[in-house]
Amino acid sequence: MLKFPKSAALAVLALTAFASPSLAEGDIDAGEKVFKKCRACHAVGDGAKHKVGPELNDIFGRTAGGAEGYKYSKAMIAAGEEGLVWDADSLTEYLTKPKAMIKGTKMAFAGLKKDDDIENILAYLKSFSTEQAAAAEPAPETASEAEPVETAAAAPDAEEPATEMAMAVEASQGAYGLGRKAMPDEIAAWDIDIRPDGTGLPDGKGTVAEGEPIYAESCAVCHGDFGEGAGRWPVLAGGQGTLLKERPVKTIGSYWPYLSTVFDYVRRAMPFGNARSLSDDDVYALTAYLMYLNDIVEDEEFELSKQNFTVMRLPNEANFIADDRLSEPHYAKGEEPCMSDCKPGPVQITARAQVIDVTPDGDGDESSGGGID
Amino acid sequence: MVDRTDTKQAQQTASRRSFLKAGLMGGAAVAAGTGVARAAGDPLITEIQDWNRYLGEGVDVAPYGKPSEFEADVVRRSVPWLTADPVSSINFTPLHELDGIITPNGLCFERHHGGTATIAPADHRLMIHGLVDTPLVFTMEDLKRFPRENRVYFLECAANGGMEWRGSQLNGCQFTHGMIHCVVYTGVPLRYLLEEAGVKTTGKWLLAEGADAAAMTRSIPMEKALDDCLVAFKMNGEALRPEQGYPLRLCVPGWEGNMWVKWLRRLEIGDAPWAQREETSKYTDLLAGGKARRHTWVMDVKSVITSPSPQAPVTHGKGPLVITGLAWSGSGTIKRVDVTIDGGRTWQTARIDGPSLPKALHRFYLDINWDGSELLLQSRAIDDQGLVQPTKNELRAARGENSIYHNNGIQTWHVNNDGVVENVEVS
Ligand code: HEC
Ligand code: HEC
Repeated sequence: MLKFPKSAALAVLALTAFASPSLAEGDIDAGEKVFKKCRACHAVGDGAKHKVGPELNDIFGRTAGGAEGYKYSKAMIAAGEEGLVWDADSLTEYLTKPKAMIKGTKMAFAGLKKDDDIENILAYLKSFSTEQAAAAEPAPETASEAEPVETAAAAPDAEEPATEMAMAVEASQGAYGLGRKAMPDEIAAWDIDIRPDGTGLPDGKGTVAEGEPIYAESCAVCHGDFGEGAGRWPVLAGGQGTLLKERPVKTIGSYWPYLSTVFDYVRRAMPFGNARSLSDDDVYALTAYLMYLNDIVEDEEFELSKQNFTVMRLPNEANFIADDRLSEPHYAKGEEPCMSDCKPGPVQITARAQVIDVTPDGDGDESSGGGID
Repeated sequence: MVDRTDTKQAQQTASRRSFLKAGLMGGAAVAAGTGVARAAGDPLITEIQDWNRYLGEGVDVAPYGKPSEFEADVVRRSVPWLTADPVSSINFTPLHELDGIITPNGLCFERHHGGTATIAPADHRLMIHGLVDTPLVFTMEDLKRFPRENRVYFLECAANGGMEWRGSQLNGCQFTHGMIHCVVYTGVPLRYLLEEAGVKTTGKWLLAEGADAAAMTRSIPMEKALDDCLVAFKMNGEALRPEQGYPLRLCVPGWEGNMWVKWLRRLEIGDAPWAQREETSKYTDLLAGGKARRHTWVMDVKSVITSPSPQAPVTHGKGPLVITGLAWSGSGTIKRVDVTIDGGRTWQTARIDGPSLPKALHRFYLDINWDGSELLLQSRAIDDQGLVQPTKNELRAARGENSIYHNNGIQTWHVNNDGVVENVEVS
């Protein structure tokens, strides 16, 4: 009984110490964690290739827009031609607010908000740059281990201590008395789901015309200018009338039953790699724009809001039915299965995987397969 | 002391030579059929081997142990063309290399929609709110003070086999059936947590949400939540692996894997389902007529022969052959597994070995004497509700080929005279 709280407290201490090193020079390991925010779009390290964004090896000293074989925005190329070379200062500016520094950059990323994160990610990226002369790296482990106490103190805005202090803890009334009462602000922070009947919709509004530039900036790199999907990224528009075809294209317009799902999903999970970065008005505008791309509304001035949301219907709503698998003949007949003489003559092979050969390590055609969705 | 290295070197050279020799002789023995006695004897027996003379590594060389270096091929694999990005992708359990019913933690297939979230247990919270008497927040420490249970369950992705609807495509049981694993979970029955918060009588549905970058959500009917759902923090005795939702995941036994929300942070009680993306755009089953089934939660009765299979060919020639595989049903236990070696003309009942637990994998064996002729292997499972695993053609007749999910059709492997195995379909 005594042992557990003690070791838990120690664990908290240790975690705080590692999680927020207040190093002026930045911590490579912490930077590696921050890089998770970039990983959907960028690769770095051995064999890194261009993804949605360019690979980031040797970014220190690279002329902006200078990675070979990557198709940059015009704005990025122009910045490079005007002499922008990536160093700690320019990267800090760019990563804080990409679009404020380079208007028209196609990097769909809102920016890093914490100074620590920027310092750490720069240290991390620098470890993949040969031009490392400038700052001799401090050994990160020793530094972060040395001052755990000061770290906690030096970060008054760190969430852990702040919430701890503010919390008037009310215990659970249940049989075990475990847990504590959730506070209204906490519930509001996490409860962002929306139902088809409109329950959960926040106040706000946005028009098709307002959604267009947000979409172009934050979504089109992956989903294509018209929602057609770039490469293998998901298709968001079109496909009407394909549900009976051999390769149905299931989109918001052709398949989804409810508009609430669009709002809910974009707000919780998009843009991919930078979730929860859109304002509620942005999400209304984007939802309106996705309706427009799917020919559900035609007027660019159409405004979607909390008020008119539930009036909107998606075309395929009526085509969803309950699970009736058990009424399928093979289950419904409920017969004992045949054990002998079950087929008339010798059995013939009718299809073979080797003909298609899309198994990894085979060298077959890559795109013939169905999907897992 | 001085000539010890020399001796060791000499010994090593000798054993390398004998190794080559053994290799040659081994080959010859196979070519000549089995059981031919060699005059000189098997050098692996007659000569002293390195591992029999020199000391091996001591304890603590690997504080967390790893499989033998000779098992380096036993890994999860992915199909790169399936998805746009590894952050929202899937890989597959190497079923063809495994036996028994428990999947080792490091081999459990991975599927996530926004990468693996990294969450320190001290920073994790589980919130219950909505139609409850008292909305509650639990820490991991709180959760570990509720009474715990241990239960063995399979988890299968509803899209397991989804690439095979239009015909046999992937040549390996890992790829056709590897979106499944089965482990023993330790956790708290969800019912205890719901009772602690006090679900109102109007509370008929539950929304489970993850803390990852996809904030994965699924609606679950209250009946199921109160029945056998588990909020788990351990798998096979140790903490959940990060890719399986560390520090906390929901278990929804027998139901599609997507509902087993990982990094579980929120449970909302409501009076209607939420129609989230993963229960509308995805995980709905499009039928031939254009209608789509929704809320197809239960994983149907299913089985597959894991060996022989394309990645596990028969290398030993004629004679005794162990045919083995897995069977499972989201409705309960497996009552019987039948195996055919002639493509379904005649069937024999296989032997189920090991525990038979509801909503868990079952291991079956059929021990035959292979005469070296071609085989068309299939297995057919029957569960304790009497549901019989259908053929792929029966499924296509009922649903068309665009359903993606819930493909539980009977799998056929063709074994040729050399023991090479291929994924095929038969008349
Ligand atoms: C949603 C995708 C996305 C995310 C997330 C993202 N980037 Fe980018 N990044 C891009 C794209 C696209 C470009 C190319 C910009 C252009 O051409 O205007 C880019 C460009 C850059 C450049 C300039 C490269 C050059 O060669 O000039 C740097 C540096 C960079 N990103 C760093 C980062 C870092 C660090 C992060 C994470 C903190 C990050 N990015 C997150 C998509 C992304
Ligand atoms: C870096 C690439 C990327 C960017 C940028 C991006 N998305 Fe996505 N989007 C994805 C991926 C990947 C998925 C599928 C995620 C999964 O597997 O669960 C997705 C899924 C979606 C879906 C669901 C598609 C379906 O058929 O279920 C919608 C809607 C969507 N995105 C909208 C948006 C919007 C709106 C934006 C801009 C605010 C955006 N996305 C930005 C990659 C991206």
